[in-house]
Amino acid sequence: MHRFFLGLSRLMAVLGGIVLTALVVMVCASILGRSLNGLLHGAFLQSVAGGPANWLLSIGIGPVAGDFELVETGMAFAIFAFLPLCQITSGHAAVDIFTNMMPPRVQRILKMLVEIAFAAALIIIAVQLKSGMDSKIRSGQTTFLLQFPVWWAYATSLVAAVVAAVVGCYMAAVRIAEAATGRILLAEDAGAGH
Amino acid sequence: QEVTLKLHQFLPAQANVPKLVLDVWADNVERDSGGRIKVDRFPSMQLGGTPPELIDQAIDGIADVVWTVVGYTPGRFPSTEVFELPFMVADARAASSAYWQMFERHMKDTEFSDVHILATWVHGPGMFHTNRPVRHPADLQGMKIRGGSRMVNQLLELVGATPVGMPVPAVSEGLSKGVIDGATIPWEVTTALKVPELVHNHTEFEGTSLYVLTFVLAMNKAVYDGLPDDLRAVIDQNSGLEFSIFAGGTQADADGPARQVAVDLGNTIVTVPAAETAEWRTLVEPIYANWVAEMQGKGIDGQALIDEARTLIDAYAN
Amino acid sequence: MSAIEIGLLSFPFLLVLIFLRVPIGLAMFLTGFAGLVAINGNSVVALAKLKTETFTTFSNYSLSIVPMFLLMGHFATLGGMSQALFKAAEGWLGHRRGGVAMAAIGACAGFGAICGSSLATAATMSRVALPELRQYGYAGGFSTATLAAGGTLGILIPPSVVLVIYAILTEQNIAKLFLAAFIPGILAAIGYVITISVYVRMNPAAAGTRPPVPYAERLRALIAVWPVLVVFVTVVGGIYLGVFTPTEGAAIGAFGTGLIAWLNGGLTRNSLVESFFVTARSTAMIFFIVLGAGFYNGFLALTRVPQEISAHVVGQGYSPWMVLTLILVFYLIFGCLMDSLSMILLTIPIFFPVISALDFGMSAEHLAIWFGILVLIVVEVGLITPPVGMNLFIINTIDRQTPMIETYKAVLYFVASDLIRVAILVLFPGITLFLLG
Ligand code: NA
Ligand code: NA
Repeated sequence: MHRFFLGLSRLMAVLGGIVLTALVVMVCASILGRSLNGLLHGAFLQSVAGGPANWLLSIGIGPVAGDFELVETGMAFAIFAFLPLCQITSGHAAVDIFTNMMPPRVQRILKMLVEIAFAAALIIIAVQLKSGMDSKIRSGQTTFLLQFPVWWAYATSLVAAVVAAVVGCYMAAVRIAEAATGRILLAEDAGAGH
Repeated sequence: QEVTLKLHQFLPAQANVPKLVLDVWADNVERDSGGRIKVDRFPSMQLGGTPPELIDQAIDGIADVVWTVVGYTPGRFPSTEVFELPFMVADARAASSAYWQMFERHMKDTEFSDVHILATWVHGPGMFHTNRPVRHPADLQGMKIRGGSRMVNQLLELVGATPVGMPVPAVSEGLSKGVIDGATIPWEVTTALKVPELVHNHTEFEGTSLYVLTFVLAMNKAVYDGLPDDLRAVIDQNSGLEFSIFAGGTQADADGPARQVAVDLGNTIVTVPAAETAEWRTLVEPIYANWVAEMQGKGIDGQALIDEARTLIDAYAN
Repeated sequence: MSAIEIGLLSFPFLLVLIFLRVPIGLAMFLTGFAGLVAINGNSVVALAKLKTETFTTFSNYSLSIVPMFLLMGHFATLGGMSQALFKAAEGWLGHRRGGVAMAAIGACAGFGAICGSSLATAATMSRVALPELRQYGYAGGFSTATLAAGGTLGILIPPSVVLVIYAILTEQNIAKLFLAAFIPGILAAIGYVITISVYVRMNPAAAGTRPPVPYAERLRALIAVWPVLVVFVTVVGGIYLGVFTPTEGAAIGAFGTGLIAWLNGGLTRNSLVESFFVTARSTAMIFFIVLGAGFYNGFLALTRVPQEISAHVVGQGYSPWMVLTLILVFYLIFGCLMDSLSMILLTIPIFFPVISALDFGMSAEHLAIWFGILVLIVVEVGLITPPVGMNLFIINTIDRQTPMIETYKAVLYFVASDLIRVAILVLFPGITLFLLG
C-alpha cells in the first residue's frame, strides 16, 4: 500500500516537474521572441533589411501571447502536484526541539494529531477549491489575454489537490496505526529545505 | 456603534480614490448614522487575496464593502464593457451618470444579482504613458504596452502595440526595467505609481477619450439586507446616481494635478488634436462590431446598449 | 471577546502549536482559521476565503520565481559547478593555514551566486568539500561548522529566495534588494575567512596542511568556473538591468544551468526526475508556509493588531534605533528555534509597519531595503545558531560521524562574526545602500 501512495505522489511530482520545466522553456522562448521582435522593429534592421524583418514580424515573431497567465496557471498546478510528495515524505518544516524531550508514546500521539489536522486542512482546501471552481464556472470569468475560462485553471489544480488530500488521509491513517500499535511504520526523513 | 463595515480595496490609503472618494463615502456614512455605523478601512489588499478577487470577497462576505475595477474579472460583467469601448466617453460625470442608470435597468438583477451595488463610475480619460513619444499608431509598432482590461488589450492589438498581461503591482517595476515600454492608465493614478518619473512621454486625446475603465463600489447583499431600516436608509442616501457622479467626477478632477506633476518634470505631453484622431478611430472601429457580435452570443443586445449609453451621455451634457 | 483580543491571543496559541511540532505552515493556517471562526462566530468567512486564496497563492506570478531558482540550484550541481568552484578555490587557498576551509567558504560564496537557498548551498557544498576537509586532517566539528556558515551565503548573496519573499511582502523592488545584498554578502564571506584564520590560530590541531598546487593548474581550475560567472551575470545582471523580470531571470537561469548540466552529461533522465523530487519537496514546503502565513496575516489584519502595535510603538516615542535593536534581537532569539522563511512571513507584516513609521533619516524605499537586508542577515544567523539551526541539521545528516555538540562549539565563532557584521551594518547603513547610489 505504501508503495502505491509513494508511487502516486512521485508521479504527481514528476508531472509538476514537467509542467515547471515546460514553463521555464516557454518563458525563455517568450523572452527570445520579445528581444527578436524589438530587434526587428529596430531602426537598424528596418533600414538594411526592412522586407525580411517585416516578414518575420508578420509570421508572429514576438513574446508568447499571455505568458504571464500561462505561468500563473501552470504554476498553480505544479505546486498542488508537489504537495503529495512533501506530505508522504514528511517534508514540512517543524520545530521538534521541545517534543523530542517527551516520551515516545506522547510523541506518537502528537504526530498522529498533527497528521489528522493536516489531512483535514488538505480536505478543506480541496473542497473549497472545488467550490471556487464552481463559482468561476457560473460567473464565466476568463483570463485577460488568452481569454480562456478561469475555471480550467482551477480544474487542473483540483485534480492535484484531491491527490494531496488523499495522500494526507493515508498519512493520517499511518500515524493512527503507529499510535495504536506503538510501532514506527514510516520513519521521517530529514532534508527538505530552501 | 452597532455595525462595523470592512471596506477593502487594492490601492494604498493615500492614493486619490481612497482619499478623495472612498474616505468621503465612509465618513459620510459614519456621520449620517450618528456613529452607529463604523467603517474599518483596509487599503492595499490588507485582508488578503488579489485585486480580481475583490468582487468575490464582497459576494462571499469576506469584506463588507469593496471598491474594484470591473475589468479585472473579464467575462463576468459584460454589459459594463459598453463604457470601455474606444472613443465612447468624453466626460466622466456624464458617463458615470449613464452607467448608473443603465446599471439599474439592465445589470442590477442580472450580472450583479449576487451583490448590492452602491455606486458605479468611470475614470477620467485613459491614455498612453510610454518611453518613446507616441503621436500616431505607427509610433506604437512593436511597443509592449500594459493594458488594464480585456477591451483595452484588444484596442492595443489593433493600434499595433503588443499588449502585455501584467499584474498591476508589476507596472512600476516593469516600466522602470523596460520590460514594458508603456502603460495605459489615466493621469490620476500616475502619481501613486510614480509613472512620470519612470517614463517621460504621455499621449492624451483631445475630446473623447481613447478608453475608460469602469468601477463599482459593492456591498455584501446579506449585510445590506440585514441592516436595520434606518441604517439601510443611511447607506441608500449615500449611494446611487448622485454618489456615482460625484465619484467619477472627483476621480477625473484629480487628473489635473497629476498632469501638472508630469509637466513640472519637463516630460513630453503629446495631445492628439481632435482632427487627428481619425486614424486612431479607424483602426479601433472593428472593436464595436466584434463586441456587438460577442454580446449577441451572450444573449445581450450590444447595439442597444451602445445607443442607450450614447443617448444618456448626451442627455447629461445638455 | 473583541477582535483585537482574539488577535493578541492568537500569538500564544500559534507558538504552542509550533512547539508541539505542528508544521509551521499548518500551524499558521489553523490559527488563522480558528481566529476567523472566533471573530465571525461561524466558519463562513474562513471557508469562503479558501475558495480562491489557495489558488491565487499558488499561482502568484512573483512567487513562481521560487521553484525556478530551486531547480536552477539543483541543475548547477548536476552540471558540476559546485565541484568546479571548490577545485578553483582550493587551488588558490588550500595550502594556507585553514586554507581548505577558506576554500569551502569561497566555493559557497560562488555557489550562492547561482543558488537562492541556504540549505541547498550547505548540502551541496558539504558533499563536495567534506571529504577533502577530512582527507587533509580538518577537525570534524570545525569542518561541519564551516560549511553550515558557508551555506548561509546561499541566501545572503543574490539570488535569494528569502529576499524574494521579503520583497513581495513589503512591495519592494526585487532587483534593488538583490543589489543591496551584494556587499553585505561579500562582507559575510570575508568575515568567515577571518573567523577561520582566527580559529586555526586558537586551535592549531583543528586544521591539517595541504601542499600547494602549481600555478598552471590553479589557472585551469579558475577558468573552469566560467559557467558560474556567465549564469550569475546573465541572471542577476539581467534582472537588475531590466532585460527581464525576476521570474524570467529565474527561468533563464534554470534553462541555462540545465543546458550546461545536459552538455556535461550530468542531466540524465534519472537525475532529472531526482531534481523534480527535490524541487517538489522544498517548493511544497515553502508554498504551504506562504499559504498559512497569508491566511494568518489576513486574519491578523482584520483584528487590526499590526496597526495598533505600530501606532502604540510610534505613540510611545521610543527611539527608532532602540526599536530596531529590539526587533533584531527578537529575530536572533527566535532564530535559535524557528526557520528563517517562517519567521519572515510571520513577523514582517507586524514589524514592517512599525519600522516604516519611524524616522531613520532616509527615504522610505532605502529604509525598507536596509531593514530587509538586516532582517535577512539575522534570520540567516538563525540557520546556524544552536540548538535549532537548519543548516546544522542538514550537515549533521550528511556527516553522521561528527557529534552535534562538536559542530555547536565550533559554529559559535561564525555566529560571533555574524553579530559583528550586523552591528557594522546597523551603524553604517551606507554600506548596504552604497550600490543603490
Ligand atoms: Na544566493
Ligand atoms: Na537557529
